[in-house]
Amino acid sequence: MMQKKICMLGGFAVGKTSLVRRFVTNVFSDHYQTTIGVTVEKKCVTVDNRELTLILWDLYGEDEFQHVRESYLRGSSGYILVMDGTRRATLDTALVLQQTVVKAVGAVPFVSIINKSDLRSDWEIDEAAIEQLRERGWTVLIGSAKLGQGVEELFGRLATQMMSPSPPPGMCP
Amino acid sequence: MTSPLRHSDPSDHSLFNHVLSALDIVVFEYDENSGTFQLQGAPPGWWTQCFGPERDASLDLHRCSPFLRDYLADPHPVWEGQSDRLEKSGPWTESDRQGGTMTLEASLLSIGSRKLVLIERLGLDFEDMRSIVQRARERMLAEDRTAKVHRTTQTRLIGQLEASERTKDDALALLQHLGITALVLDERRHVTFATDRALALLGIESSTVVGQAWERVLPFQEHDCQLVQHLLAGASHTGSGGPFCLDGARPKWVEVDIHRDPRHPDRRIIVLHDRTEVQTLRQALTEQASFYDLVGKSPAMLRVYQLVRDVAQVDTTVLIEGETGTGKELIARAIHSSSGRKHKPFIAANCAGLTDSILTSQLFGHKRGAFTGAVNDQEGLFEAAEGGTLFLDEIGDIPPNVQTALLRVLQEKEITRLGEAKPRKVNVRVVAATHHNLSEDVVRGSFRADLLYRIRIARIHLPAIRERREDIPLLAQAFLSQVCTATRKTVDRLAPETLRRLMSYPWPGNVRELRSAIEFSVISCKGNEVLPADLPPEIVESQVQASPSVVIQLVDRDEKSRLLAALSDAKGNRTEAAKRLGVSRATFYRRLVELDIHPQ
Ligand SMILES: Nc1nc2c(ncn2[C@@H]2O[C@H](COP(=O)(O)OP(=O)(O)OP(=O)(O)O)[C@@H](O)[C@H]2O)c(=O)[nH]1
Ligand SMILES: [Mg+2]
Repeated sequence: MMQKKICMLGGFAVGKTSLVRRFVTNVFSDHYQTTIGVTVEKKCVTVDNRELTLILWDLYGEDEFQHVRESYLRGSSGYILVMDGTRRATLDTALVLQQTVVKAVGAVPFVSIINKSDLRSDWEIDEAAIEQLRERGWTVLIGSAKLGQGVEELFGRLATQMMSPSPPPGMCP
Repeated sequence: MTSPLRHSDPSDHSLFNHVLSALDIVVFEYDENSGTFQLQGAPPGWWTQCFGPERDASLDLHRCSPFLRDYLADPHPVWEGQSDRLEKSGPWTESDRQGGTMTLEASLLSIGSRKLVLIERLGLDFEDMRSIVQRARERMLAEDRTAKVHRTTQTRLIGQLEASERTKDDALALLQHLGITALVLDERRHVTFATDRALALLGIESSTVVGQAWERVLPFQEHDCQLVQHLLAGASHTGSGGPFCLDGARPKWVEVDIHRDPRHPDRRIIVLHDRTEVQTLRQALTEQASFYDLVGKSPAMLRVYQLVRDVAQVDTTVLIEGETGTGKELIARAIHSSSGRKHKPFIAANCAGLTDSILTSQLFGHKRGAFTGAVNDQEGLFEAAEGGTLFLDEIGDIPPNVQTALLRVLQEKEITRLGEAKPRKVNVRVVAATHHNLSEDVVRGSFRADLLYRIRIARIHLPAIRERREDIPLLAQAFLSQVCTATRKTVDRLAPETLRRLMSYPWPGNVRELRSAIEFSVISCKGNEVLPADLPPEIVESQVQASPSVVIQLVDRDEKSRLLAALSDAKGNRTEAAKRLGVSRATFYRRLVELDIHPQ
């Protein structure tokens, strides 16, 4: 069966682990336990009747304590950039990380998600900022690991892009 | 396939295992030929628990996390002999068979040509490090949330501030838009805003108004200022007053409404209504009927008012001629008040019946000891009137010596106090008055011609009442209200018959007599209307006894000769003479005195 490595990237506490757990085991916890190092999970999906195993690399969050090692990114077929809608700074982190990935593995498909849509009234990332990301060619989804919103679509969209022969639209040079 | 212990003795073997066990690590050696990782020594318990016993002692990568597989598949400088340091994989999470997880880390090293992989389970040190990072991140999240609450509060406050600023701006814009002449005052009564209309009315710029105390912006006269102050201090929501005069190059008349700012009870909004035009018209109207304290709108009086205005413009000496009681002093005061000297003294002196020396000392002052009784240095009226106007009534009565002195003063503009040698400069305008015919006096030799020409540069003739009968109702009404105010009586009007009698009476004593008559009747009056019976007897009687022809005669001919003729007709009998003239005995006697007639 085909396997594809996917990295979960984003600032700390944006919900990378929560999204993976919601996707793989359909659970969610409000308790925050920061990821140190790497946890790898697997999940089988079907794209266009073809079975595919996603190897989900849940990396630690990017901040002053831990910077993503480029070696962890090697071999990725795609990646997911996670932002926290309630914290504007996580958008800037996502922009930096995206540049890092391009340097490390080149132009591979990716999808971005602004997580915590259940706290929309607290959001600091507004429509204008989202529109700017889309203008850069990013696929930007809005979702919530807590409510399970947009999670299937997130991984589904990336899987489809990775399986499509032509260069995906979300690809950035 | 080689083992570090294969060729050594058994004690070395057990030592190696002890070291491994003490370090709690599992060691594999990479076999390049087979591409497998061979277990070296005894693995720690956690490893076997997690991955089971190694079959044929090689590492089954499929049972481990893809992390380790990928990591080992990568090229490693330390195995290529490019580095002799330990190379670390970084931590990764591996699930144990009991449903838990553990964090492992691999280290690579070369010993000679041998490539080794050491895998350790991260223990307490790692957990400490993890909890520090966890705490730091939680702290950052919490600070983030606090900052956000502050930001939201700040945004809300700024929003509220902006909203209230907007409301304020809206209110002010509304004042502007409605073209209201308004000033907004803060709690210290300083101007915080003035509409364009207000600025235009005051003829000033916004920048010079804002921050100023209201009294500086609105130059009201002192009394008006106090009234407005009172309105501002008032407890009621609105108050109004005026019209008040705003001093300036072009004085403005305004009515004032004071409103409390509904949003700040301590602040005030002053709304001004420009009433200048109305006031000018009103003034023009009343000016028709009165001028300063002069009452009357007959053509004769209007001519007098115009003359007064004209002579006020120049600084010459004026001679006012008129019968006794016509109000010559009022004219002199009017000239003074409408002249440039109005803020300086106005002094009136009656020259009649004073001796030479008394009058001289009164007018020019004296030095101590100049004459018996001159116990102090004394300035005269000329000096007292410095800069202003000196009114010399009955100028025709001054003795010749004083006439000479006065002439010198008018020519030299300096006076010499009695008993002094050194003259003093004076700047005084002289307004003189007389009921004499001074030309006749000159002919008779009792008045100096040169002095007459000096004082008669400008000349105003004040008509007698009988020459302006149409003013009698106005005069009577004016005196009625003055007397009522003074006596606190409420007499509203004159009965038509009363007025008719006043109109036909000859008024030898002129306005002064009319005023006394009104005083008399107000005192006598029982109701709120003056009846003919309330009038002084001479007026009541004159009406009964007078034949109109006699009255007209009296009006038309020179009064003095008429009195003398009547006296001679009555052979010196004054009662008879009064009867013939149709006046009361009292009036007749008074006129004799006033006209200086001394019957034998
Ligand atoms: N309300 C809400 N909370 C969420 C959501 N997703 C994650 N969280 C909470 O956010 C915190 C961080 O979630 P994680 O999934 O651990 O975040 P992470 O990106 O893996 O964090 P690091 O591993 O430290 O980089 C946890 O307290 C979660 O419960 C969501 O959709 N809504
Ligand atoms: Mg995590």
